[in-house]
Amino acid sequence: MMRDDAVRRLPMALSALVALALSVVPLPAPVDAFRPDFLVLVVFYWSIESPRAGGLALAFVSGLALDVIRGVVLGQHALALTLMAAWATHLRLRLRVFSVLSQSLTIFALLTGYQFILFWIDGATGNPVTTFSRWLAPVIGALIWPLLAGVMSRVDDR
Amino acid sequence: MVAFRSTDTSGRTSGLLLRCVLYCLLSLGLIIFDKRYDHLGEIRRFLSVVAYPVQIAVASPFQGWDWFRESVSSRETLRADKAKLEAELRLANFRLQRYEALEAESQRLRALRENTAGVANRFIIGNIMDLDIDAFRERVLVDKGARDGVFVGQAVLDAGGVFGQVARVGELTSEVILVSDGTHAIPVQINRNGLRTIAVGTGDMTRLKLPYLSTSADVIAGDLLVTSGLGGGFPAGYPVGTITDVKRDPAQSLAEVDVRPAAALDRSREVMFVWLAPEASAAASVPPPASAPPPASVPQPASASPPGRKATAAPGQQNGAPKK
Repeated sequence: MMRDDAVRRLPMALSALVALALSVVPLPAPVDAFRPDFLVLVVFYWSIESPRAGGLALAFVSGLALDVIRGVVLGQHALALTLMAAWATHLRLRLRVFSVLSQSLTIFALLTGYQFILFWIDGATGNPVTTFSRWLAPVIGALIWPLLAGVMSRVDDR
Repeated sequence: MVAFRSTDTSGRTSGLLLRCVLYCLLSLGLIIFDKRYDHLGEIRRFLSVVAYPVQIAVASPFQGWDWFRESVSSRETLRADKAKLEAELRLANFRLQRYEALEAESQRLRALRENTAGVANRFIIGNIMDLDIDAFRERVLVDKGARDGVFVGQAVLDAGGVFGQVARVGELTSEVILVSDGTHAIPVQINRNGLRTIAVGTGDMTRLKLPYLSTSADVIAGDLLVTSGLGGGFPAGYPVGTITDVKRDPAQSLAEVDVRPAAALDRSREVMFVWLAPEASAAASVPPPASAPPPASVPQPASASPPGRKATAAPGQQNGAPKK
C-alpha cells in the first residue's frame, strides 16, 4: 500500500501541474467566463481516488500555487481547497458508489462551497468580487466532472 | 470486512480531521499575516520565482506562435508594414520637431512656479505575458519585476495612453492592475478646460466612468482626459481616455459620464513602466498630506478617496499641490 501511494505521487503532481496551466491559459473573453476550476476538480479526484497518498497536502500546495499565480492574499485558495478536499475525502466511499448524476451534484456542492469560501475571504480582505459569473464555475465544473474523472481514471490505469 | 473497513475509516478520518485542521490553521495564519502585517513580501517574491516556470510554460507557446507567424510572413506583407511604419515615423518626427523646445520651455515655467511634479524621466518596456491571471479582475502579468526596479504603485503606460499601475511585484514579474479594473481610480483633468476629477474603472476594458462630476459640470462628449499628476503616482499630461457619453438627469446631482480608455487595454502587447523625475517625488512628498485644499472646481466627493476603494486606488494619497 505504501509503495502504491508513493507511486501515486508522480501522476498526482503531473496532473495538478497540467490543471494549473489550464487554469491560466488565455482564452477568448466570451469563453473565459465558462472556464471550470480545473485544478480544484483534479484535487477532488485525487482526494476521492487515493486519499492516503496525500490528497490534503496536494490541496494545500495547489491552493498556495493558485494564490501566488492569481496574486490574491496568500492562503485564500489554500484554505478553501483544503477544506473542500477534506470534505471530499470524507465523502469518498459514498461518492464511489454514487450514480453519475449524484456524483455531479455532490461535486457541484463542493465547488460551490469552494467558491463561497473564496468569496467570503475576498470580502473579508477588502476586495470583493461581486460579478455573478463567479457562480458559473461550479455549474460548469459539475457538468464536466464525469468526463474529467473518466479521462483521469483511464489515464491512471495505464 | 465491514468491521475492518469501519475501524480503518474511523482511524483515517480522525487523521484526516487532524491534518485538515492543521492545514486550515496554516492557511488562516498565512491570510492573517499577509493581510494584517504584510510580512510575507519576501516569501511571496520567492514563490513568484517558483511559479515563473509554469507561467513561462503557459505563455511561451503563444509567443512561439506569434514568432512563427512573423517569421513566415511574406515579403509583400513586410514591405507594406515597412511603408506604413515609415509613414508613421515621418508623422511622429514632424510632430516631435517642436517638442524638445516646448519641453524645455515647460520645464522652465514649471521651475519658476517650483512645481516639477509628475514629470516622467525614465522608462522601461515590459512584455505582457499571455496569461489569464484572474477572470474577475482586470490584471495582467508583465515580465519585469523587482530585479528591474519595478515598484508597487508605479505608473504603466502603453502607446495610446495610461494603461494602469503596478499592483504587486515579484522578483521577475509584476502584476499590473488596469485603469479599467473596478477597484482602480486615477486623478484626471479635462484637457479643454482643466477641470479636475477622478476616473474610475468599471470592470469593462472598454469603459471608464467619471462618477464625481456634477450635472452642471462643463463636460461634453469628445473631451480628452489627461492625467492631472495629482497624487504623485502618475506623470502629468498623459491621455487617459475620451469622453463618449454624458447623461444629465435633472433629478440627480451627479452626471453619468462614460469614457473610452486611450490605452489599448485589451490589445497591447508591450507596456512602459515610468519613473517620475526625482524632483517630482520630492515635490510631491514635501507638503504634508491633506494640507492642500481640495480643488475648488471639483465637486466635494472627488477630493476624498471614493468609499470602498482600497490600496490599489491612486487618489487616496492626493498630497501634491494643486497645479493650476
